[in-house]
Amino acid sequence: MSEASPLGGGQGGELKWQRLSPWAVLLLLLSGSASLLRQHMPLVLGAGAGLALVERLGLRELALGGAVLLILAVLISLLYYRRFRYCCDGDVLIVQKGLLEHREFKVAARHVQSIVIRQPVYMRPFGLVLWEVETLAGEASRIALPGIRRERAEVLERELRPPDGRRRPTKPRPGATSESSPADEMQAVPRFVIGAKAIVLHGLASRSIYLIAAMLSPLVRPLERWLHDRLPQLDFEAWMPGSPLLAVAVGLLAVVILLALLAILAAWWRFHGFVLLDAGERQIQRSGLFHRQEQTLSLARLQVVEWVQTGLGRLLGRGYLVCHQYGALGGDAGESRRFMVPGLSEAQGEALTAHFWQGSAGSGYFKPGRFTGHAGSGQLLRRVDPSYRRVLFLRYLLLLAGGAALVLGLLIPLELSWPAWGGLAAGLPLLAAVLAHWRWIATGWAQEGDFLRVRRGVVGQRTGIFPMHHLISLRLQQSWLQRRRGVATLHLELANGRQTLPYLKEDDARHLADTLLFTAECAQPV
Amino acid sequence: MTFTNVSLDPQNLPALAEAPLEPVSPRLAPCQAVLRSLHWLLLTALAAFMPLMIAEIAAWQPWPAVGVGLLGVISVVLGWLEARRRTYGLRQHDLIYRRGLLVQSTQVLPLARLQHIETSSNPVERAFGLVRLVCFTAGGRGADMVLEGLTADRAAAIRQHLLARLERAEPEPTGADAP
Repeated sequence: MSEASPLGGGQGGELKWQRLSPWAVLLLLLSGSASLLRQHMPLVLGAGAGLALVERLGLRELALGGAVLLILAVLISLLYYRRFRYCCDGDVLIVQKGLLEHREFKVAARHVQSIVIRQPVYMRPFGLVLWEVETLAGEASRIALPGIRRERAEVLERELRPPDGRRRPTKPRPGATSESSPADEMQAVPRFVIGAKAIVLHGLASRSIYLIAAMLSPLVRPLERWLHDRLPQLDFEAWMPGSPLLAVAVGLLAVVILLALLAILAAWWRFHGFVLLDAGERQIQRSGLFHRQEQTLSLARLQVVEWVQTGLGRLLGRGYLVCHQYGALGGDAGESRRFMVPGLSEAQGEALTAHFWQGSAGSGYFKPGRFTGHAGSGQLLRRVDPSYRRVLFLRYLLLLAGGAALVLGLLIPLELSWPAWGGLAAGLPLLAAVLAHWRWIATGWAQEGDFLRVRRGVVGQRTGIFPMHHLISLRLQQSWLQRRRGVATLHLELANGRQTLPYLKEDDARHLADTLLFTAECAQPV
Repeated sequence: MTFTNVSLDPQNLPALAEAPLEPVSPRLAPCQAVLRSLHWLLLTALAAFMPLMIAEIAAWQPWPAVGVGLLGVISVVLGWLEARRRTYGLRQHDLIYRRGLLVQSTQVLPLARLQHIETSSNPVERAFGLVRLVCFTAGGRGADMVLEGLTADRAAAIRQHLLARLERAEPEPTGADAP
């Protein structure tokens, strides 16, 4: 145990337990209801299940049932509040909670990899925040204190700062803003501040547009029914285009514009006022329009930095960085929970990546200008063997042919004319060849000193950049066909999942595997 | 403190291809054969006795069962051959496991990444006196390496060796090092 802690621990003294704010009961109810609504809204509203339930049960019975559920939820929240307590014993956070089963969690500062402070709009009037800590065991180990005072959250953040948290203090600069804690000896320097244009471009280029389309898809059927009932009564024909094809195109364009607007709104909601602060070893980001969020990343725990560009993002010259740590769950889909820097141009992304990797223990300095591997911006990415393109072509062709057979034969039994069959027979291999070529072009790798870059994708691209000593394990794989062609596939297990280098020349694959193992084993000899 | 930074020849790094590997127990092949036979027998029984409502289709029911049975026989034979080719190796800083017949793979786990080790065995493996060594690394994504086909004595010896190495290693993660 170290020095006395303002949150309970003291030298030789008993632990002084802290409780959540009493308002946390109300906030637990609100956040639970909001989460339920968010999860089930498309189902209840879209599929008409809500209306069907009201018609079947009756409004009064439904209200009565709702009231009973509310009382039950209040009682459970009260019990949860009563059982929840926490304290700091030196640099160890102890949390006790549980409704039926009492559980105790202990988190030592040296095991902390990131801290998140969230403040939804309904918590602001009470000055409360939702404080979360994640250990080296990964996202599954996240522990939350739902509803504590902001000042207390900042004290907790200081108490649980890793012991090596002062590895790289920054020099004070003109215009530097003071960090949240006045006691903090370091000053935080803004590294990146998002602007309105960057938010708009990020909204357009992010994957939110697809997520929103998926979320709204249950509403298509009710909308179709509504249009079917109402359209004849409205005088649409007066201003609708005469050609049905043109009408369909206009309709599609309207849907795309609506989705793009919603995606921009989602980006604005999440990243309004985004600022990345450099506090030496800690990187802090703050953002959010109504739902404010502050996330702290320990550079000592950083494992992989990933530069992500969607297809539209590549056209607009925008992308975002995702900082991966240990135990990243959910793959690419779960990246919104991670430390993300949105709305970056390629130059900004490269500069920030270099900044994140500066002073990485045991590795050389990452030099900027290495994402794309364009001539003039660094070393070219090495392509994998062209036989990979042929394999991909066969895979895509089989997939497309199977899909076409399923759609034409089973789902929509159509009688196609001979020219149509000919067009299909020529079009599918062409499409397969284009997709295979794009994916082969996108797949590349390069070794830059102690760092490895691995790029993958088809239209959108993801480039992982990591020091080679961050390797967890590797697997060298060869099928009989690959053995005949003298190529091999290298699977690299990293903290955020697997990176695959398919169809490397066997000599290259073996040499890279030997180098990676040597670097990883030298960095932390057993 | 003396700082050394000896230059290394990249062509002369310890080569994975030259690592001495040892075959797993020869009892793994019959053990795999029994396990696969049980699995495919169940599938064949399902294909043979699944009740079919349409009489015309039911008349053809034995043929899919025969097909599934044949696939099972091929799988058992391939499993037997594959199990006989499995090898493993323990080097100073890593653990190697090579498996596969048509698709061969060599997995290497640096010991520095090891978090904990388990041994486990199902009833069939116990009947053959075999044990699986399950190695976990950081991140909580499940087992990172499962070494099948070790005799109980050999598994215990390797486990003991790995645990001794873990105890000698740094107790806590520092800096950019893994936990």
